[in-house]
Amino acid sequence: MSLDLLELSKTFPGKEPVESVHVLENIHHRIENGQFISIIGPSGCGKTTLLRIIAGLEKASAGKVLLDGKELVQGSEDVGMVFQEYALFPWRTTLGNIEMGLEIKGVDREKRRSTVMEYIRTFDLSGFENHFPRELSGGMKQRVAIARTLIMNPRVVLMDEPFGSLDSQTRNAMQEFLLRIWQKRADTIIFVTHNVDEAVFLSDEIVVFSKRPARIIKILKIEYPRPRDRTSEECNQIRRDVLKVLSKES
Amino acid sequence: MKKERFLIPLLLILIWQGLSFLQVIPSYKLPSPIEIILGFKDLLMIGVPPGHLLHHHVLYSLYRVALGYAIAALLAIPLGLLMGWSSKFLRMVRPLFELIRPIPPLAWIPIAILWFGIGIKSAAFIIFLGAFFPILLNTISGVLSIHPILIEAARTLHASERDIFLKVLFPGAIPSIFVGMRIGIGIGWMTLVAAEFTGVKEGFGLGYMIMTARDIQRPDEILAGMLVIGVMGLLIDIGLRAIESKTIKWQ
Amino acid sequence: MKKVIFLFLVTLLFFVTVAHGQPVRIAYLQSDIHQLPCWVALEKGFFEKEGVKVEVAGIFKAGPELMSAFAAGALDMGYVGVAPATTAVANKTVRVVVLAQVNTEGSAIVVKKDGKVQSIPELVGKSAVIPGHATVQDSLLRRALLKSKTEPDQVKIMVLKPPEMIGALRTDQIDAFIAWEPYPAKALTMGVGRILASSRDIWKDHPCCVLAADAKFLETQLEKAKGVVRGHVKAIDFIRQHREEAVKIGVRYTGMDEASIRLAMENVNYTPVLSIEGEKEYVDFLTKLKYIKVDDVQIFVDQFMRPDFVKEVIKK
Repeated sequence: MSLDLLELSKTFPGKEPVESVHVLENIHHRIENGQFISIIGPSGCGKTTLLRIIAGLEKASAGKVLLDGKELVQGSEDVGMVFQEYALFPWRTTLGNIEMGLEIKGVDREKRRSTVMEYIRTFDLSGFENHFPRELSGGMKQRVAIARTLIMNPRVVLMDEPFGSLDSQTRNAMQEFLLRIWQKRADTIIFVTHNVDEAVFLSDEIVVFSKRPARIIKILKIEYPRPRDRTSEECNQIRRDVLKVLSKES
Repeated sequence: MKKERFLIPLLLILIWQGLSFLQVIPSYKLPSPIEIILGFKDLLMIGVPPGHLLHHHVLYSLYRVALGYAIAALLAIPLGLLMGWSSKFLRMVRPLFELIRPIPPLAWIPIAILWFGIGIKSAAFIIFLGAFFPILLNTISGVLSIHPILIEAARTLHASERDIFLKVLFPGAIPSIFVGMRIGIGIGWMTLVAAEFTGVKEGFGLGYMIMTARDIQRPDEILAGMLVIGVMGLLIDIGLRAIESKTIKWQ
Repeated sequence: MKKVIFLFLVTLLFFVTVAHGQPVRIAYLQSDIHQLPCWVALEKGFFEKEGVKVEVAGIFKAGPELMSAFAAGALDMGYVGVAPATTAVANKTVRVVVLAQVNTEGSAIVVKKDGKVQSIPELVGKSAVIPGHATVQDSLLRRALLKSKTEPDQVKIMVLKPPEMIGALRTDQIDAFIAWEPYPAKALTMGVGRILASSRDIWKDHPCCVLAADAKFLETQLEKAKGVVRGHVKAIDFIRQHREEAVKIGVRYTGMDEASIRLAMENVNYTPVLSIEGEKEYVDFLTKLKYIKVDDVQIFVDQFMRPDFVKEVIKK
């Protein structure tokens, strides 16, 4: 069972006098279910565009995305997305944000509430149920965003540089937190990041994109058990490999 | 700290009273503060025209404004949400509104009388015209100001168009809607006097009261009446602000 | 230094001559056939023939508005209803003096032609429209009601400007209106209304419009005021002797058709002679309505009305 990216290309039409922008070039890859995949590449190369295509927010110019052999449609319940800027609804409390998807689905109030409270506990947000996003710290906001997505139990979780705006300590804590949560579930995670250390720490596989138009230029599998020691020689080696590939693209 | 706020107005009133007393300001042009207070007493006890007391005028005017305003809000908010949401719809409908908007409500009075007759319907129509556009425009801008990423987040949570409309656009636009509503009620209340030109069947209304005071040449009552209109407008605005801060706790 | 004094004197002279050359600012009411003497005097140059240059500084929709213009210092003389003038002076918003009568009678209560109201008591619970509070028509309507033992409070008295009255009657928004001619006549010729009571029926020979002058203007430019009164008396004579031409002038200034104007003029009596008794009745009436409060009626009327102006002109 897998998520298949089949020869995906994307060109954005240009508006005079800007020419059209060719962003993705023949992205072709199979992602096995339950894997944690990181996508890493130079800025603006199209990583976010790929996620958006999988999420159905963007249409590919060519190619298909299949989940277990069936084509993915927009709004598919099998896909969830966590955005870099959290995208929390500012007028809803922590509770309100996390329950949004369930509310849309039509789950009745009682059941919603009990499920949400569970997540609030697991995600270390107890005491902040009725706070508004502006009252939460960056790390908390990100936990709410992740909870909001995971509570819908999507099979594929897309994460677009979710820890990008956090300081390094919070970032490390969030990485560990994410691993803890994920390892209890069976989701596939596709994780876009700039941060090589992060990719090395978290992933089963690192996919390296070239600069625009993006092609897959390297796939590194990481088989070391988790939790990983960030400073170990194995991690450093992978890091060096990735950086070497990336430096050729800059 | 609060006391200092009243110092300057109080000083101005004292100077004004002094100038009036010394006849530097003739009382038929600008009655003195004391005369205005006495005029206010007459409005309360005798009424203008005699027998029509102030609180009745206030109630009738409030009723007219409430009617016109309610219709304006009920039409403008959904329309504004739609226009903010669908740029196609906006393009279609906008030219019509941009054409009507600059026409001052006062200019509609003859047409209002032809269409709605004399009485509350035409007065409410004039007030409607004044309140409608601020509410509409602010609602539209409220929708347009919602970060597109929030709409995308809703989509990834499997929201239908209806869900997006009710759960994202509307709540997201509420702060702007409130701004529009406050501006709208301000203009609506100001349009009141003009609206009551369309004829006041029952003989009650603050605008009508002021016009009658003018007819019977009582500038003290005119000014007292104007003050009442001003104070009521202020109270309405304070009231709306209170509702706003209770509703929007998230900003 | 000499230059400065010279310049100063020249400027002073300039302003003095300009002030003397300033035309008299006169105002009248829109489409009010009572004001015909004013229009005739303007058309035939009667004011000029008396050596007075005149300019129309305002045309108003109703008397109270004209009085406001007096209060603002925008007018020197005006053709206006005696009731709004009395109210303004009694409430001390203006100082004007009445120099001559313009007309007596000339208003009427109009109801729908085949409508429900066939007599004055039937106005109870119905709506009746006046051009403004404290106008001559306001007083006439209430007088008519009281005469037929009806309480004015039981009638819904509303305010509309005369141009809007006929339309409102036609569409049944109101049951009756009282206005100055030619509006009643027009309602008749349009087939919309019929006369319930003419002002003659309500109060025979009641004073209506007067020629008033700003008190300050009177003090500084007495000769000009006298000239205007002379022109005014001439105009009234002209109307009596050259009726056809007067009708044509009336048509021109009101924009209405000849038939209506002719009919309207039959209801109006033009005369320059003031009625002191009539004025006292107005004061009494306005006081009862609580529009004004006058300490001494005689003193008030003596200061307000100056019949001597017209007497002087007629003697000659």
